[in-house]
Amino acid sequence: MSELVLSTKNLSKRFPVGRSGSFVNAVNGVDLSIKRGEVLGMVGESGSGKSTIGRTILRLTDPSDGEITFDGQDITTLPTKLIRPMRKDMQMVFQDPWSALNPRMKIGDLIAEPLRIHFNMSRSECNDRTEVLAERVRLSADFLNRTPSALSGGQLQRVCIARAIATNPKLIVLDEPTSSLDLSVRAGILELLQELRAETQAAFLFISHDLGTIKLISDRIAVLYLGRVVEEVPKDKLFSDPSHPYTQSLLSAHLPSDPNETLQRLTLQGEIPSPINLPTGCSFHTRCPVAINSCQSNVPEADEISPGHLVSCLRLKDGQNIIRRDLK
Amino acid sequence: MTGRSPSNLWTMARLGNRIRGISRLSPTATAGVIIILLFGVLALFSDMFMPHDPVSSFTDRILQPPSAQHWFGTDGNGMDVFSRVIYGAKFGFGIAIPAVIIAVLIGVPVGLIAGYRGGLLDEVLMRIFDGLRVFPSIILALAVVAATGQSLLNVVLVLGFLDSPVFARLVRSEVLALRSSIFVESAIAAGNPTWRILFLHLLPNSIQGAMAQTAVRAAWAVRISATLAFLGVGIQAPTPEWGAMIRQGAEFMVSGQWWVAIFPGIALILLVFGLNLFGDGIQDILDPRRRVSK
Repeated sequence: MSELVLSTKNLSKRFPVGRSGSFVNAVNGVDLSIKRGEVLGMVGESGSGKSTIGRTILRLTDPSDGEITFDGQDITTLPTKLIRPMRKDMQMVFQDPWSALNPRMKIGDLIAEPLRIHFNMSRSECNDRTEVLAERVRLSADFLNRTPSALSGGQLQRVCIARAIATNPKLIVLDEPTSSLDLSVRAGILELLQELRAETQAAFLFISHDLGTIKLISDRIAVLYLGRVVEEVPKDKLFSDPSHPYTQSLLSAHLPSDPNETLQRLTLQGEIPSPINLPTGCSFHTRCPVAINSCQSNVPEADEISPGHLVSCLRLKDGQNIIRRDLK
Repeated sequence: MTGRSPSNLWTMARLGNRIRGISRLSPTATAGVIIILLFGVLALFSDMFMPHDPVSSFTDRILQPPSAQHWFGTDGNGMDVFSRVIYGAKFGFGIAIPAVIIAVLIGVPVGLIAGYRGGLLDEVLMRIFDGLRVFPSIILALAVVAATGQSLLNVVLVLGFLDSPVFARLVRSEVLALRSSIFVESAIAAGNPTWRILFLHLLPNSIQGAMAQTAVRAAWAVRISATLAFLGVGIQAPTPEWGAMIRQGAEFMVSGQWWVAIFPGIALILLVFGLNLFGDGIQDILDPRRRVSK
């Protein structure tokens, strides 16, 4: 049974720039869906709107346009009062564990906080559950009486994860949960997340800019460019059959794990355009090596080229979307 | 041996080290603490230190200069100035402490809400408080106490209310900076209701500056309450309050009986001085930048 936990339709978020009347178009019409127990990875450069999507989905910021359906309910315009009890089922893990925890609270209280808010638990019940949670994320119970300053980054991220799974949520948004951690610590956290995902059956939205991390944990991957999903692809096809020119360039920037593999770089020219003045048509046309004139005026629709593999590129039609065949 | 077990000695040694550590960190704060403690002891145990009843008059010894019997002399009613000065410490603390508590109880929640909510509510609350600060506090206090009735309770309430903007502003500016921090967003994401965010997350992280100000504001309250009494508002003579005593003594200054006004004046200055020293020192300790610049 693959019930939909979350879906968005045409989700957009604009931030006004001062009083100039112009806007930063952070997210521009994103359609996403995540099923129960599924991990959707989301990659993109800085400024591609990854984090904004995560925050908007959880209604930490209000969407400018579009719809968010969570667990069968339209939550797009649900007032804060009604969102609050729903937060039991949707939690978030932040990028920087050092600043995501109240520095004046004890670790035990931080982990128990979601329990205290959402459940009517007795004190001893709550303490027991907190200890179980700490153990589950492999955090020594000795830390429960300490404040965040006594813990390392990896330990703090374990605290954040314990908080996120405390209420058995249906959806957890993980906003680059490993990118601020040391490589050695990162592996432990990823391993933990993979275990939890199997255990909890929660849907994960895993945001990252690191393809290696994304590949390790995701079932499906959405590639973001300037607030739009340019390609949505099952994990096994990401590396074997990248179909959007942007995805291909991203992959070529990723170091292969085999040191003998020859590295063929496909370097994009120029900078990512300003999200204040979005390019017309396909937003990637300014840097796309295979762009043609119609790319400047027509916004590409998503085409399903194989089951679950959606690509938004005008050049799919004439088969010129693949930049260099030898890269594959 | 009883009483002096090794662990006892150890704790005492640690306490000693601690005190020495603080006094090295801020000698001014230490001096302030000593002065405040001195007056605190006088206020709490005044009965033990007063040689005479502060409000019984020796009709045969009016306006006597300082002597072995009356260390600070006697006033126009023949009351012992030394005993009255000691008793006056009760009023100093009795007004300042509750006034500061009231100011904190009003100001801190207002600052939290104004800073967190922002927008129109913030504008309105802060403009009201600006309005309060525009008037010279003595004149406003005078007017309000005169209007609400002459009682000690009214003086305390008015001082507390008038001083609340100080705490509101301090807390508000901290909250403004913290409002968009990630741990607050993380608290929202966890599902915290607003009151929990305000009092469990923002309050403990924004109160430090306001707490450091309490001693300085207590000094202000002591000064203003004495001024009010000097002007004849609130506390009336012959109540042994320093401001009221200075007022009584002021008329004898010209005729050479200086001791009636000078001694309560010195006590007042010392207590205000001590509170200010302590307050300044606390700020030095809490703010590493100020410490380094010294």
